[in-house]
Amino acid sequence: MVELRKVSVEYGEHHALHQVDLLVERGEFVFLVGTTGAGKSTLLKLLYGALKPTEGRIWVLGTEVNRLKPREIPTLRRQLGIIPQDYPLLPRKTVWENIAYALSAIGYNESAVRQRVAQVLARVGMSDRARYYPDQLSGGEAQRVAIARAIANRPPLLIADEPTANLDPETSWEIIDLLLQINLRGTTVIVSTHNRAIVDRARQRVVALDRGRIISDVPHAGYPVELDRLYPPIPL
Amino acid sequence: MIARLRFLWNETWQALRRNPLLQVASISTACVALVLVGVVGMTLYKLDAVAQMLPKQFETEVFLKFEATREQALELKAKLEAMPEVARVTLVPREQAWAEEQARLASEINLKDLPNPLPDKLVLATHQPDQLPAVAERIRQEPTVDEVIDQRETLRQVLATARLVRMVGLSAISLLLLSAILLIYNTVRLTIYSRQREVRVMALVGASLFTMRTPFILEGIVQGGLGGLVGATLVLVGAGLISDYTLQLWPFLRDLPPGLPPSLLLVSLPGLGALIGGLCAGWAAQRFVRV
Repeated sequence: MVELRKVSVEYGEHHALHQVDLLVERGEFVFLVGTTGAGKSTLLKLLYGALKPTEGRIWVLGTEVNRLKPREIPTLRRQLGIIPQDYPLLPRKTVWENIAYALSAIGYNESAVRQRVAQVLARVGMSDRARYYPDQLSGGEAQRVAIARAIANRPPLLIADEPTANLDPETSWEIIDLLLQINLRGTTVIVSTHNRAIVDRARQRVVALDRGRIISDVPHAGYPVELDRLYPPIPL
Repeated sequence: MIARLRFLWNETWQALRRNPLLQVASISTACVALVLVGVVGMTLYKLDAVAQMLPKQFETEVFLKFEATREQALELKAKLEAMPEVARVTLVPREQAWAEEQARLASEINLKDLPNPLPDKLVLATHQPDQLPAVAERIRQEPTVDEVIDQRETLRQVLATARLVRMVGLSAISLLLLSAILLIYNTVRLTIYSRQREVRVMALVGASLFTMRTPFILEGIVQGGLGGLVGATLVLVGAGLISDYTLQLWPFLRDLPPGLPPSLLLVSLPGLGALIGGLCAGWAAQRFVRV
């Protein structure tokens, strides 16, 4: 489903990613963990064509992403659910309109939009907030809307970049739990995070990145000990 | 397809409604630039028509030698008529010329008792005014010709003025259009920045570049077109007022050729505005709306 071979991304002298190899099979749930600047967001951006690798090859859903021309990238993205770090919701549209907007932009007709928006709002438990505007939502609710928008087109692969950033522990777990439920229905999920608690609790595959390199890749694991050795938790 | 068209139109319509101040800024920018284009265009059209009309009034007078016979005069007339540059040649017999001269000066002096001092004369016009000097030069070589009066200096001045008017007008229009293009481009760029979230959402969900860029292009077309329509109306109203006032001051201006037809202005300025708006918006969208 997702494969990276010897992928590097360089910004001048700085190596954001260095010779990264990664294989994610259909139906997996993968945490990408690491400190700020480890290369998590860079890796995710490579998957949906927002960045080009300096070297190496990337396949996503059978498409070699590094060879795509700009006009071909939208076709790939229509098969992906993308939740960026800042989950940009449109402030002047209601929750319902935010999701409807995304579907209309990719050619859904009015009745299909109505049907699908209702389904995904129910899926993320936000049906009662359909007429709310983003500034009337809590951080967790806004993130749920972003997830609903990302899964509205039934993507086989969901990519979430720090979906629990700025959320309290309880809400963070609710978001991860929602992503786990989506994964149970067959969607492959790749989530970047540096939230130790949710990684420990979810017990899914964990890929640890440090300074652009993969330093561990363990199935059904907690927060990697390698990262703890490199960056010991600060005692409170 | 219908769903996509509806989405594009909704996006354009909402963008036009949502940023009224920015829209007013864009439309007024386009309007000001196109008003200036319209004013310069109308002035240029009028001056050009005047400049084109004036040289037609210049004709070359060819005076034959006094001893030249009527047959020689007719021969020369036929020879001149065969020249490709020559539009028409009229023979003015010396008797006719003298009678006209006597009549013209009748109130001042009695010329009836004097012998006719005038030779036969040919009056000649070319197809293009600037062909006159060269043709006059060739006619001077004819053995039966005494003098050729071609008003060369006057003609040169008129043609130079016409050229200057065209050059200045076209340069002014080019500069104004360039400034309009840059202003509209910049306004569309600001519109794109103000709608970055929408652009980003469209990019993330996989909307095509066509879907992402078209609303901005339509917005540019509407802004330019409306600016042109308002501009054309202002130019026509202004031209009407100025025209009435100047005709009251200088009635002789009624003899000038008519100006640019109002219908042409009402079509061309909005059309030009829409074209410029669309092109500028397309240019800005291509640069700033990316996946």
